[in-house]
Amino acid sequence: MLEINQLNIQLGNHSLNYHRQIATSAIVTLQGISGVGKSSLLLCIAGFIKAQSGSILWHGKDISQMEVEQRPVAMLFQENNLFEHISVLQNVRLGLVNTSDEDILQSAKQLQIAEQLHKMPAQLSGGQRQRVGILRTLLRPEPLILLDEPFAELDNLTREITADWVAQIALSRNKTLILVTHQQEDVEKLATQNWLL
Amino acid sequence: MFCILLICTITLLAFYGLIAFNGQGADLSLLKDSYFHSILIFSIKQALLSTLISTVLAWPIARALYYYPNLIFKRAFLSLALLCFVLPTLVLITGFVSLLGRSGYVTPLLGPDWNLYGLHGILLAHVYMNLPFAIRAFHSQLQNIPQSSWLLASQLKLSYWQKICLVEWPVLRANFSLTFGFIFILCFNSFAVVLALGGGPQSTTFEVAIYQALKYDFNIGEALTLAWSQLFIAGAFFLLLYRSNSVSWLSKDTHGNYQLPTNSRWQKISYSLLYTTTFIFMLTPLLALLPGVIAADYSRAIIGNIIEALSLTLVLGIVCASTALAMAYAILLPIRRNLLQGKTTRALLLQWLANHSLIAPAMVLSVGLYILFLPIIDLDTLGMIFVVILNIMLVLPFAIQQIRARLLQYDNDYAVLAQSLKLSTRQKLQIEWHYSKQVFFSTFALVIMLAMGDVAIFSIFGSDQLKTLPWLIYQYASSYKINEASLASAVLLLLYATLLFNLERAKQHA
Repeated sequence: MLEINQLNIQLGNHSLNYHRQIATSAIVTLQGISGVGKSSLLLCIAGFIKAQSGSILWHGKDISQMEVEQRPVAMLFQENNLFEHISVLQNVRLGLVNTSDEDILQSAKQLQIAEQLHKMPAQLSGGQRQRVGILRTLLRPEPLILLDEPFAELDNLTREITADWVAQIALSRNKTLILVTHQQEDVEKLATQNWLL
Repeated sequence: MFCILLICTITLLAFYGLIAFNGQGADLSLLKDSYFHSILIFSIKQALLSTLISTVLAWPIARALYYYPNLIFKRAFLSLALLCFVLPTLVLITGFVSLLGRSGYVTPLLGPDWNLYGLHGILLAHVYMNLPFAIRAFHSQLQNIPQSSWLLASQLKLSYWQKICLVEWPVLRANFSLTFGFIFILCFNSFAVVLALGGGPQSTTFEVAIYQALKYDFNIGEALTLAWSQLFIAGAFFLLLYRSNSVSWLSKDTHGNYQLPTNSRWQKISYSLLYTTTFIFMLTPLLALLPGVIAADYSRAIIGNIIEALSLTLVLGIVCASTALAMAYAILLPIRRNLLQGKTTRALLLQWLANHSLIAPAMVLSVGLYILFLPIIDLDTLGMIFVVILNIMLVLPFAIQQIRARLLQYDNDYAVLAQSLKLSTRQKLQIEWHYSKQVFFSTFALVIMLAMGDVAIFSIFGSDQLKTLPWLIYQYASSYKINEASLASAVLLLLYATLLFNLERAKQHA
């Protein structure tokens, strides 16, 4: 279980407060107007923003003081998820443990990006880049997955295929997932809980 | 941190050597002397003028290279520009004297009032060395303009000036002040050019005055006052420079400039004219060596001397460049870490300490260490160790300056991603190397050539048994064997050109 206890984040003059609990293997969608602090919450859980007060417990253990590298978290940022100077496949391999190229290829086929693996990131469209980022984040071994607007650049059909794949992997690998979205369909399709901030 | 401590210790030892000698302190009465004032004014005047001319001229030339990527011999031009910057000063001076000296090839065309010696000559030589450096720096910066900016500029139908103000200048601004300051300090600390082309006490800089105080008068008090003054002025300027230089290292690389704005016919003509004139300006002093090469004595002894000196120069250059590059990377690690953690003041302080050898006069460092170690170590035998150490110290700021921008850009673009992916040290190094190897190759080329061109340090610590090629040129030139000096200069030039060609090719294929 993930417990966010009296968490306070200070961003300039804004004070953001969170107090929630998420069951293991749940899929939580985060919604709210721009600037309300959805991304900040994800960045704080991942360790990129320090909280003023409060704690984040994962299975009863406080992770809020841990370094980014020690947290059981894999995160997809809104942008800048790929190194531009190495190939897509090399990008995907980073951060993965015990995942063969076969597994990567299999998942890439499902996400319809198998033919893009040997290209450079600059040769990909926005939607393809986004799916490469999602693929890597979900295949990583960490149990807690944070996705910041993962489907923002996808068309309706691709969005549906990708959401299905995300749900399938999250379920089969017992992942706990928090994702930021502005789309009601994502909430209906994926969420076991929806937070309105 | 260890490397920063090490280089600071060496500088402190050098100053300790000077201060501890006879227990003499600085001669502060000199500060009120008109001699001191004239040195101060001339040092600043020549450095400011050289820097202004170099940077102001470099901008349009860099634009010409950027807007017309298919200019004829463009790659050769850029390689030649690098060659001009790293060219051993003695080679350049030999070339200029052959062209514009009292019996120079071009001198009769310049009228009876022409005199190479004095401010004219110093400015000419400084601009020759630094204009190409500024061109390369600005051109490289212009290439960082994201393709999307030009697309947006066309879409918004921006005017010529709007494009300059909104697209070009923001990209150049980050490096403009740094390049300006870097050239100013190089000219402010200039030694060989001012010594050879200064032409009298009215055209003396701090570095030359220190040399004269030590070499001719052995007046430690005066030398110390001048050395501290130079360190203070150049140091304050350097600190200001690093403070004003914001760390905005632009966006990720974009390849191909397929959507560059089109220029008018007149602009095209003026850019071509500017490009051609600069090309001729850079080539002429080198071509002026040719008659001397043809007339030189090709005896076995001369050729043997040149080959022997060439081998030593190469070994010295490789050792210095490899060590300086490794040290530059190590020194940047704590600086980058502090910048990432938002500790800007600490990062600035570390940068300043790491680059301090750029402002500490080479002559003072050499003489200080020489005086300190003379009673303790057999410097005739172990002098080459000091040549290596001091050369590493002096080329280190160049190595740091070259790789710093690329590594900071890497951090800006990817540090968070790398941290998020929890990469191992090996993986981090691999990705970083892949990203920055081109810059490492070109920096190695630059640094090896700077180290091989040294004369000042070798003049203090070198021996007559082991001579470097620049020192051999100096010996030939000072014994009026100008043709042999031209031959040795041509060999050194050929070595530099070969090195440049291979390393630029390696860089392109990297």
